[in-house]
Amino acid sequence: MASGTVAVARVAPRASRGLWGDAWRRLLRNRPALLGFVFIGVFVGTAVLAPLLAPHDPGALYPPPPDASSGATGPYPPRPEHLMGQDLQGRDEFTRVVYGARISLLVGLGSVIFGVILGGFVGAIAGAAGGRADNVLMRVVDVLLAIPGILLAIGIVAWLDRGLPQITIAVAVTNAPIFARLLRGGLLAIRESDYVLAARSVGVPTRRLLLRHMLPNSLTPIIVAATLALATAIIDVAGLGFLGLGPPDPRTPEWGTMLTDSTKFLRAAPYLIFFPGLAIVISAVGFNLLGDGLRESLDPRLKK
Amino acid sequence: MALLSVDGLVVRFRTHEGTIHAVNGVSFDLDEGETLGIVGESGCGKSVTSLAIMRLLPKPAGRIEGGSVRFDGQDLLACSEAEMREMRGRDMAMIFQDPMTSLNPVLTIEEQMVETIQAHRKVGNEEARARAIELLTIVGIPEPENRLRAFPHQFSGGMRQRVMIAMALALAPKLLIADEPTTALDVTIQAQVLELLQRLTTETGTAAILITHDLGVVAGMTQRINVMYAGYIVEAAPTAELFAKPSHPYTVGLLHSIPRLDAVQGEELIPIEGAPPDQRRAPVGCPFAPRCAWRLPDCWTTNPPLAPVRAAEAVVTTGPGATHRVACHNSPTPGEAAAGRPLREGFVAAPPPSAVADELAVVVP
Repeated sequence: MASGTVAVARVAPRASRGLWGDAWRRLLRNRPALLGFVFIGVFVGTAVLAPLLAPHDPGALYPPPPDASSGATGPYPPRPEHLMGQDLQGRDEFTRVVYGARISLLVGLGSVIFGVILGGFVGAIAGAAGGRADNVLMRVVDVLLAIPGILLAIGIVAWLDRGLPQITIAVAVTNAPIFARLLRGGLLAIRESDYVLAARSVGVPTRRLLLRHMLPNSLTPIIVAATLALATAIIDVAGLGFLGLGPPDPRTPEWGTMLTDSTKFLRAAPYLIFFPGLAIVISAVGFNLLGDGLRESLDPRLKK
Repeated sequence: MALLSVDGLVVRFRTHEGTIHAVNGVSFDLDEGETLGIVGESGCGKSVTSLAIMRLLPKPAGRIEGGSVRFDGQDLLACSEAEMREMRGRDMAMIFQDPMTSLNPVLTIEEQMVETIQAHRKVGNEEARARAIELLTIVGIPEPENRLRAFPHQFSGGMRQRVMIAMALALAPKLLIADEPTTALDVTIQAQVLELLQRLTTETGTAAILITHDLGVVAGMTQRINVMYAGYIVEAAPTAELFAKPSHPYTVGLLHSIPRLDAVQGEELIPIEGAPPDQRRAPVGCPFAPRCAWRLPDCWTTNPPLAPVRAAEAVVTTGPGATHRVACHNSPTPGEAAAGRPLREGFVAAPPPSAVADELAVVVP
């Protein structure tokens, strides 16, 4: 069969990059996604290097500027020692914004990871088992999705009491139904796919079929949704803080709580609103841009 | 004792739009090492029959509602899912129509081949890998050591089908079902893949069922052919006999709708008029009657059983001497088969009885 060998040999061997390798290269060519990377880099870098970047102690009270009239209270406007000004108690706003990145990153990431695990678990059971289990689980998911996210989070925090772990759980639970539904839908579609049928036709065990064939192929939408969920999680956490459901310890530099404390001085000290607000925007927009970029680069139909 | 014995197989799909009568009592036998072709147009039940044998019908809609399937002395319909899983790949394997979608895109060829081998043999990764390389060499993939690490999207369609063949034959199954294995491939690649399939099944003594709608494919590949229409086997014969003496109007129609290189200039193709019956209705009479030029009044009411063409002949179901059988009240004569239409003086196809006439008015022009 000489002709066959020739026809086949013409396909030059190429380095195996795989789907993820191709997706990564597509992502690097996507400008908004790169901007997202920069924003996320600033955000994560700030959170990680907070003790090095922050000039002061986030909890310490600092004296007013020397030119302030005696008996005056905060807030004080920005000056070289306090780049973003001082808040009502005289604490350094810049230091608190920097340390706030840690809280947002920790709670945001924690809630999304927990939400993906929780939702993924429910979705995997529903999608793999089907039938009655699927029906019951999905109706619970429907109920959770019917309640506005922030309202559900408020309810959970009110029930569990205030605190960072509670906020993490609350935001995770509001996010989990989306992941459950995504994974279930993905699994259902893939269960009917040709390659699953082909794998079954050579006797691949069910467990392996689920873990090696079906799950990896339904993960892309989860990855995209998780990245986008990080953006909303950061906003949700700040929102809870803004509504007075932030961490109970007033010394915790949480961006949403900082905003609430400053609303009274909106006219007198707009810088106390501007900088924490900007921090929230940068981190949320960063994850949004990256999420959109990921969606485009992971979608094989958009392959260029 | 035949390797595979299908008897009176009935498969129905329960859907929201009603019951689909996909396979309506199909019986055939297959000996070890034999190659059987199943021919028919889309929706005639070819693929459903093979999926039913493998017990891979889509659940919960697809159900085997009657008949039996015996394979290697075992009643497949009584096997548990775990027993079936043991057998699939080891004793029986399947090749699917579209190689582009039959390999998992996120796993390398190596992972998929190794997992097939390890699903049935307790062998280490190295040993399984060595076997995979050996198999890729057999199916004619160059540089198998390197290609093993590649992903499916780095392979062409023909090469993917070679990989599928390698996987299906990895454990030397006794039965291989190839469901339109070349339909999605270029014509030149089709010939290569068919030749490969034929060579491998001959070498290993694997019995094969080749499902296709392409008569040219089965002509060179098979020893026997079953012609299916609307969930029935309408004609069964050794390959040469079927082409020489087609005895069912549908087979005659199929043969006359293929363009031939040696056709006489100006010879016309005769298409089969109409469309296959709506399988949501329980079949009444011969399913081919509405499209048949040879039909008699009986054809509308009773479906003829599969019977020997030469009456009173003892029925042999397998091997090269298998009996030529046809399910027809009014078989075309050899002359009519050659002409592609009834030649009898004054013969007119029986009009539908008035009860069916109204329903059929839409279908039959």
